This record gives sequence, structure tokens and C-alpha cells, in this order.
Amino acid sequence: MPHSTPWRTELQAILRGIAGGFLFGIPLLYTVEVWAIGSATDPRWLLVVLGLTLLVVWLLTQVEGFRQTLTLHPLEAILETIEAVGIGVLCAALALLLLRRITLATPLPEATGKLVFESVPFSLGVALARSTFQTKRSRDRRTTAPLSRRLASPTLTKVRDALVDLDATLIGAVLIALSIAPTEEVPLLASSLPPLWLLLVMAASLVLSYTIVFASGFTDRTERLQRGLLFSPPTETLVAYVVALTVSGTMLVVFQQLSPSDPWQEWLSDILVLGLPASIGGAAGRILI
Amino acid sequence: MGIANPPPNPSQPSPTGQTQRSMAEWVTFMVATVLLLALVGVIIYDWQVNQDRPPAFDVAVAESIRITDGRYYVPFVITNTGGRIANGVQVIAELDIPGQAEETGEQQIDFLSGHEQKEGSFVFNHDPHRGELVVRVASYRLP
Repeated sequence: MPHSTPWRTELQAILRGIAGGFLFGIPLLYTVEVWAIGSATDPRWLLVVLGLTLLVVWLLTQVEGFRQTLTLHPLEAILETIEAVGIGVLCAALALLLLRRITLATPLPEATGKLVFESVPFSLGVALARSTFQTKRSRDRRTTAPLSRRLASPTLTKVRDALVDLDATLIGAVLIALSIAPTEEVPLLASSLPPLWLLLVMAASLVLSYTIVFASGFTDRTERLQRGLLFSPPTETLVAYVVALTVSGTMLVVFQQLSPSDPWQEWLSDILVLGLPASIGGAAGRILI
Repeated sequence: MGIANPPPNPSQPSPTGQTQRSMAEWVTFMVATVLLLALVGVIIYDWQVNQDRPPAFDVAVAESIRITDGRYYVPFVITNTGGRIANGVQVIAELDIPGQAEETGEQQIDFLSGHEQKEGSFVFNHDPHRGELVVRVASYRLP
């Protein structure tokens, strides 16, 4: 097992924190009011918000956290709090850069304001990472009994497991995309992205999805290896992304955000922008369900 | 909040209960501390620099006018030269061509932070070079 070295363990812990941060942070990232509040807030108030975030994360770290360690020295809880908020700030900054809420032209006060407010959900997500993604035993999952004995052959079991994964992706993606699709943030964000920037959004969606499911050590590896035989991890990530994009496209059409008269560029950018939270939701779904 | 820790999952590598932090964990801690201190530093710097500077505006109209389908597109750049953010900044353009028409254009800019620049265009049916064009900020709100 590659768990041996402390560097690797730490990297996994950080990736786990990042995954938790994005899962909690993305919905608030797609909220135009938070950007506005962030850019209009007095610097002293920002310090208060940052302090409150540290306090809440410290309280959470007493029982949760992003590392696997279950016994914690009180001083270590403080250290882990600072680390968790640091990871949260970093993730929020990356997310704001990715969605171009912060660009090189953004004035410093506005950028810090947005960053501090977006860091709140990201930091909480980091601090909740371990318990959020605690491996559920697959025995708890409902399975439909095969219709006949022939369907229980090993290959078909693999196919069924792959379908379960796709199903879980679908559920996770729908749950997250449902709350974002009807809002005006999607076209707002999409229209502010230059065409080639969409490639970055796609790359980020894939990397985050892969990180949540495979790189952060959330999943029980042996179970994953048994189940994942039909799809290799990269393939599964790609297939899940296609599912997430399908979900976001469907959601946008259902909520009348896209109509056949809209230009194809708008379809493309809207679907890809909503595809980011949808693929994160899908990845979380595959772990949790 | 949870009173008791959930029992450790049997499938996971059992926590060693180590109180010794690894080198890797210290690196994470130091990077995180630097990041947070930098953020706090930037916030305090911003407070020192911009606390008492209300919004002020500078509107620059570009010389080069684009003509497409018989309409005249006049690009402008508005800058908030103050320190604080302004909300709902109203930019008005008035084109007065003597003896001919009078045209107006209006822009509402949602948020304009201190030192922020935003660009836009006014569209006229008449050639602005043949008359007098005045572009000014008429009003704004404090958020």
C-alpha cells in the first residue's frame, strides 16, 4: 500500500481537505451576492469574518478535521485549524481565479473581500472533509437482486457495479446542479469567460472529480479495485464527466435557461460552467452512495 | 455538535495515535500560516490606504470611433479613482449636433471598486465628430 511515507499521507490529507472544501464551497461560489458583499465590505469586517472562520473551524477540528488522526493534542487542533483555513483560502482563491471573479484587473480590496467571504464555506468544507467522506460500507447500499442466476456472472456483476457508479454520479450531479441551474449566475459566469478559458474549466472539473474519488484516499481501495475493473480510474472520471455534462444540459433546459434559439456558444459555455459543480457533485455521489 | 467521536472505521488504516507531527505536516502548517498572514497583511494594508477615500470618477472617451451599419460606436473607459466601492454608477452621454438631433445614452455600472476600470460603448445614429459629445457620471450609490 502506498500509505507508508508521511509525505504521501500528508498529500492525501491535503487532497482530502481540498475535495471537502470544493464540495462545500462550490454552491456559495455560484452566488452573485457573495461576490458583491465581498467587494463592498469594510476591511475591519473582513478581519472579523476571518477570525470567526478560524473559531468555527477550530471548534470543528475538535471532533472532525481533514486528517485521519483521531487523537489530537489541544495544540495540534490549533495547528490543524490554521492549516484547514489555509487550504480553504487557497482553494477559494483558485476557484475565484478559475471563474474569473478575480483577475489581474481586479482591485486588491475587492479581491481580498471576495476571497475572505468565499473562504468561509471552503474552510468549513476542509474541516469537515474526514467525516463527510467517511467510507460508507457498500453492504448498506440497496442492491436489486439479479433477475436470474445467469445475470450473477462475474462480468455482469462488474457491469452492474459500473451502472451503480453511474447512477451515483447522476444522483450527486443532479443534487448539486439542481440548486445552481435555475440561478442567473450560470449565464453570468459563462459570459465572462473567454472561449479558451472553457478548456481550463473542463480540466478543473476532471481533476477535481478524479481527486475526490481516487486521489484523496476516501474510498476503500480494495473495494474500489474490485469494483472498478470495468472502468479504469481515468476512464471512469471521463464517463462521469459526460454524465455530469448531460445532467447540467438537461437541468438548464428544464429550467428554461437554454432554448433552441440560443447560439451554440451559449449552450457550450453554460453547460461547461454548470458542469463544474455537477461533476464535483457526481464525484461525491460515487463516494457517498 | 457531536459529543462523541464516531467510532473509527475498521477498514481504514488505524490511526497510530501519534503525537509527533511529521515533517510533511509542519510544511503544510508553515505554508498555511504564510498564506493567512499574507491575507491579513493585505487586508490591513487596504484598510490603511483606502479607509478615507470616497469614490471619484474619471471617464475617458476613446478617439477612435467604430462605424458599423451606419451607427457610431463610441468606446469609453470609466475609472473609480477613489478608494471605496460605488454602486449603480450612472454614466450619461449627451451628443448635441447644432441644428440637428440631440442624442443621449445611458449606462448603469453595478459595482465599481476603488481603482477599478470598466469599459463600455455608447451607440449613436449621428457622427459624434460633427457635434459636441459630453460623457459624465451623473450619480452613484454607496453600497
